Amino acid sequence: MGICEIQSLTRDYGNGRGVFNLSFSINQGEVFGFLGPNGAGKTTTIRHLMGFLKPEKGYCTIGGKDCWKDRADIQKTLGYIPGEMVFFDDMTGTEFLSFMSKYRKIKSNGRTKELLDRFELDPRSKLKKMSKGMKQKVGIVAAFMHDPEVLILDEPTSGLDPLMQNRFIELVLEEKAKGKTILMSSHMFEEVERTCDRVAIIKNGMLVALDNVQTLKAAQAKKYVVTLENEDAAVEFAREGLRVTDVTLNQVTVIVQNNIKELISVMNRYPVINIITPNQSLEEIFMQYYGGDRS
Amino acid sequence: MINWTLYKRGIHGSLKMLLIFAAVITMYFTVIISMFDPALGSALNEFAKAMPELMAIVGMNPASADLVSFMEAYLYGFIMLVFPMLFCILSANRLIARHVDRGSMTYLLSAPVKRETVAFTQMIVMVTGLFLLVLYSTILGIVNCEISFPGELDIGKFILLNVGVLCLQLFIGGICFLCSCIFNDSKYAVGVGAGIPVLEFIIQMMANAGEKLENAKYATFFTLFNSDGIIAGEPGAIWGMVILFAGAVALFGAAIVIFSKKDLHI
Repeated sequence: MGICEIQSLTRDYGNGRGVFNLSFSINQGEVFGFLGPNGAGKTTTIRHLMGFLKPEKGYCTIGGKDCWKDRADIQKTLGYIPGEMVFFDDMTGTEFLSFMSKYRKIKSNGRTKELLDRFELDPRSKLKKMSKGMKQKVGIVAAFMHDPEVLILDEPTSGLDPLMQNRFIELVLEEKAKGKTILMSSHMFEEVERTCDRVAIIKNGMLVALDNVQTLKAAQAKKYVVTLENEDAAVEFAREGLRVTDVTLNQVTVIVQNNIKELISVMNRYPVINIITPNQSLEEIFMQYYGGDRS
Repeated sequence: MINWTLYKRGIHGSLKMLLIFAAVITMYFTVIISMFDPALGSALNEFAKAMPELMAIVGMNPASADLVSFMEAYLYGFIMLVFPMLFCILSANRLIARHVDRGSMTYLLSAPVKRETVAFTQMIVMVTGLFLLVLYSTILGIVNCEISFPGELDIGKFILLNVGVLCLQLFIGGICFLCSCIFNDSKYAVGVGAGIPVLEFIIQMMANAGEKLENAKYATFFTLFNSDGIIAGEPGAIWGMVILFAGAVALFGAAIVIFSKKDLHI
């Protein structure tokens, strides 16, 4: 039994939108990446976990409690960063954080101060006038200030600059070390690679892959960039029937899946001067599930 | 059942609107009470005689010449119906539907606070606002009358009249709040929530005009607020108040249940 269970979750919005028979489970102390293109059903799934939507079929639980029936109870130890930061009108960041702290009935505010320092956030200005990045920081502080056991993070670093993204990744790793369970939807592949143990990929509301980050990367077709002596050779090389994605001057990019010997034998017949394997991001792995036309 | 942090926030957010309505009501009360003339009948009564139909449409046809009937006719037939109603429409939308529409409801529900508590607290914010508005009008009316015409006002009847208005406004507030809880879109919440009471009010104005349309009064809940009857001490008018209050309780109850059970796309 995982700490967060999703079982046959279904919600049909028509026209193939929604989530369909989605099942997965997240273990205690795990950082779980939740990926998929826009409109794949990530936010719909998260809304079910938050108890905003009632499942049409199936159920989801957090800590053994039903996400719809026991939603207020679950929230005691849950932190949430919504995909869109919409606050109340005319509040400053300080007022908002103090409101949330009292609303949640949190005793100590030490954690809030620590988080504000960590993200170098001065929350004294009006929320309406804050930049996207500042609002995002306020949302992060609000999600972590009560030291929750389970965190649901919907694109938590959107709008943050690379330095702050890095600070956020550090925060997630610290929380993970403390045994917190985290579900994170993201488009920032670096943060998924660095933090997640396992990744689920959904497309059109259905689970298309669920595996370790390492396994997913290993299953990926490898990319090689072969440099030849001249452009003519590169053009010839590209006609050899290998899966070529790009020819730039004297460089040919080849995708290889289980046929490395074929590549080697072809290379033997050409004036190859260099071969490199660029570091492939999770994005490229991930894109294969959407038809591969962008790989 | 009530979250005091949210309540304080709601009252704080209502203050500006309450002050504006209080200012408007103060202006009307002061001007209209000053037009009362116990000996000769007021200038307004002259209007009523000159254009009885027009004045009747807006409920301005006093049953008798005493001060409480005068106020009932000129303040509680239109002013005290329309302005608190406007307050209901605006605050009901602001308290629930707008948070859902914009998405800020997310923060109210991503905390260990039940939806029932959120809706109940917001309802209490609205009821507090209405109560303060009517209480202020009552005190304002009494003070104004005692300064200008000491001893002329039947304070008991005037307070009862205000209790009646409060029951009516709670009922209207119940309709607006229910719509605010049903619709996820602010525009529908306001459209339907304001549309129903405004339409009912127009029907009442038509019924007031009399003649052929008099039977239209059976099609509007405003008939349940029988201000002449309340002052005359008719039991039917008191029952009307009770029915409006019971209706308000039912409407608010339904609103809380619906809000707690519905899907929120936030």
